[in-house]
Amino acid sequence: MNLREKIEKHLLSVQKPSRYIGGEVGSVIKDKSKVDVRFAFCFPDTYDIGMSHLGIKILYSLKNSRENYWCERCFAPSEDFEAIMRENDIPLYALESLDPISEFDFIGFTMQYELSYTNVLNMLDLAGIPIFAKDRSDELKNIVVAGGPCVCNPEPLADFFDIFILGEGEEVNLELMDLFWEMKQQGATKHEFLLRASHLEGIYVPSFYEFSYKDDGTIAAVTPLNGAPATIRKRIIRDIDKVFYPENFVVPFTEIVHDRISVEVLRGCIRGCRFCQAGFIYRPFREKTSDTIVEEAKLLCENTGYDEISLASLSTSDHSDIDNMLTKLLDYTEKARINLSLPSLRVDNFSESLLEKIKKVRKSGLTFAAEGGTQRLRDVINKNVTEEEIMNTCRIAFEGGYSAVKLYFMMGLPTETDEDIVGIAELAQRVVDLYYSIENRPKGRGVQVSVSCATFVPKPFTPFQFEPQDTQEMIEHKQKLLLDSVKTKKVKVSYHDPSVSKLEVILAKGDRRLCKAVYTAWKKGCKFDSWGEYFHFDRWLEAFEECGIDPAFYANRRFGYDEILPWDHLDYFVSKEFFVRENKTAHNAVTTPNCRLRCSGCGVNKCVGRECFDKSQGRI
Amino acid sequence: MIKVRAVFEKKGRAKYISHLDLNRCMLRTFRRSGLPIWYTEGFNPHPYYSFALALSLGYESSCEILDFNLNEEIPYSEVMDKLNAVMPEGMRITSVTEPKLKITAIAKAEYTFSLVTDVTDKLFEDIKSMLGGEEILIEKKTKKGVKTVDIKPEMEVTGLECSADSVDVSMRLPAGTQTNYNPSLFFEALRNTGTVPFEPRIICRTAILCEDNSVFA
Repeated sequence: MNLREKIEKHLLSVQKPSRYIGGEVGSVIKDKSKVDVRFAFCFPDTYDIGMSHLGIKILYSLKNSRENYWCERCFAPSEDFEAIMRENDIPLYALESLDPISEFDFIGFTMQYELSYTNVLNMLDLAGIPIFAKDRSDELKNIVVAGGPCVCNPEPLADFFDIFILGEGEEVNLELMDLFWEMKQQGATKHEFLLRASHLEGIYVPSFYEFSYKDDGTIAAVTPLNGAPATIRKRIIRDIDKVFYPENFVVPFTEIVHDRISVEVLRGCIRGCRFCQAGFIYRPFREKTSDTIVEEAKLLCENTGYDEISLASLSTSDHSDIDNMLTKLLDYTEKARINLSLPSLRVDNFSESLLEKIKKVRKSGLTFAAEGGTQRLRDVINKNVTEEEIMNTCRIAFEGGYSAVKLYFMMGLPTETDEDIVGIAELAQRVVDLYYSIENRPKGRGVQVSVSCATFVPKPFTPFQFEPQDTQEMIEHKQKLLLDSVKTKKVKVSYHDPSVSKLEVILAKGDRRLCKAVYTAWKKGCKFDSWGEYFHFDRWLEAFEECGIDPAFYANRRFGYDEILPWDHLDYFVSKEFFVRENKTAHNAVTTPNCRLRCSGCGVNKCVGRECFDKSQGRI
Repeated sequence: MIKVRAVFEKKGRAKYISHLDLNRCMLRTFRRSGLPIWYTEGFNPHPYYSFALALSLGYESSCEILDFNLNEEIPYSEVMDKLNAVMPEGMRITSVTEPKLKITAIAKAEYTFSLVTDVTDKLFEDIKSMLGGEEILIEKKTKKGVKTVDIKPEMEVTGLECSADSVDVSMRLPAGTQTNYNPSLFFEALRNTGTVPFEPRIICRTAILCEDNSVFA
């Protein structure tokens, strides 16, 4: 029985079988005897989530645009299908050819969040590929690579991967495949390939770096081996307006989380919120022109048949031509009967005319990320939003017919006191009061303010990378305080399990010694850690203990300014000096203006070799 | 507004598209085709289209019926070509015509399937003896609970053959707005009365028929 027959024999006994058989419109089928390099693009979560990710769509199309390369998709099976796969010796396979991924030249994972690490191990295991890189053969095949935001500190994954790809992938992915094909024809070994790959900009070969540690557990030195560069610099695309963008997406049959077209608007962010990793690792700020955005949106709508578009960016309203862009887009979407949804709109430049335009399309919820309950705390985190601005926006929204508002906050931020927590409840209360003070508020409807409170996770490559996370006891105290401070049923409070955030910070700020713990936790059955029902913190704690790791060393310790951080040998363009400076400024509750108003010298312009904002082009 | 009836196949990987997903899939197929599909009027306009019969997940078909409307007259062959250019793998329009009969004229559907077994002769005998009996009882779940139904009067076997590794069957079963039986009822009855294990393979709906066995069109 061939693999496809084996799969089909069991497919009808699992949930949503169309996730496991491919054949979707837009998926790319090639003749494998005619392709030179095969790449299995793996997403370490289920189909429904992975298929919603924009990066996979871009890189899938990009690689397949080369006739002699074939990129296929692969996702983590749900529990029911995994059991069937293990029972019936069905190895992890790619959805286009239905071939086992162990036959592929590259097995590439995108690392979007820390709690998907165990899924990588589980997928390699399902594929029958040795989990530790050192246990894999030196034959030039099965190169296990990873990219995505988490690889800005990939050390807790270092033992499992051959290569990490730092930064934006559009150019370096093809360079890496070109090098592979060149060396494959020469009959090179994997080691020989890694030697040359380590000199490509953006390519980090973790096995070529040796870590040594001091008695206090901090890093003594990171020593490059085999002539590898001392620091590895991330890749960026210089001309974002001309960069490859897919003309087609794979259109799933089953409903996925983000079941719509995503059109990228801009990369990077001018804001510099001090907790936000994305705001720093994706610098510099670059935007596509309105014409390109509209053109790409149209083409994708026509080719996929989707009737909904969303704009992808860290902050769409920071596009310098937003009004014109939205006007042009709405011209098209209205005629073509397409819905336009706009996430990531900031409070502070949310104008009445813009809101009017969005209202024409659809009435959906309003969400504001205020992040901190008091102005002092918002200044500390550099969330340059004032209460007046929040109230103004809410007033416009209420007068426009909205009666529900979501407010996002974080808990456990640096310098936070009980007063800041009570401030969250007070702010929510003032939004409620505002609603009832408005004469032309929606008739006959009460207001609903949803307060969602996440636990702050300090992340690498942010000014808060040095910060300790609050202990679980501190967070639980603050959660109780918040609940006690809310006096009305019109304010609903929700918050996260603090142990999830604790695991997140350990994996985010961890070093290479954590690999063993990730492996041990997986061995104990941990997978899908980001899914509440599969999260077993007790197993993780056992794993840490067995591996001699003190979770508090990573989670609750202040990292020194002079300490060698596990990610210091990776260069994401923003300098450590800037992060130290910003950290000190934060502790003085002083804000830093956004990049358009004034350059704060983060170091990106030096790496790029030009100013981020060219005044002559009117892009300020 | 011009009424159109298309017949399409759903085979290969497409058989795993559920009925709910097929709706979404068809909507996107229409949008990709660029055909001037007629939208419903009212508060939330959406393209009007409807499938005559639902097809069980995992079944293939060579005769699914899809009705929709166009805003302007377009040659049927062009409608077919435009849709086929953008259909998913395994799905293909085989004819486009003007609808002649009302959906309520559908009375039966014909299916073919193979029952795979190591002992084809035994299975063949099992089937023959079941068909030769007075009644074929199965338990059918309804809204009011489980009830025992005799499917024999409504089941019409039109082909029964023994091949190397399977017994191949074709049969007609009631379909349409009143009663819908599907071959899984036959498998269930055979599992209850038969003596050997078997696995159904490639279940395919091959025709949608009217009461007089003429093809619904």
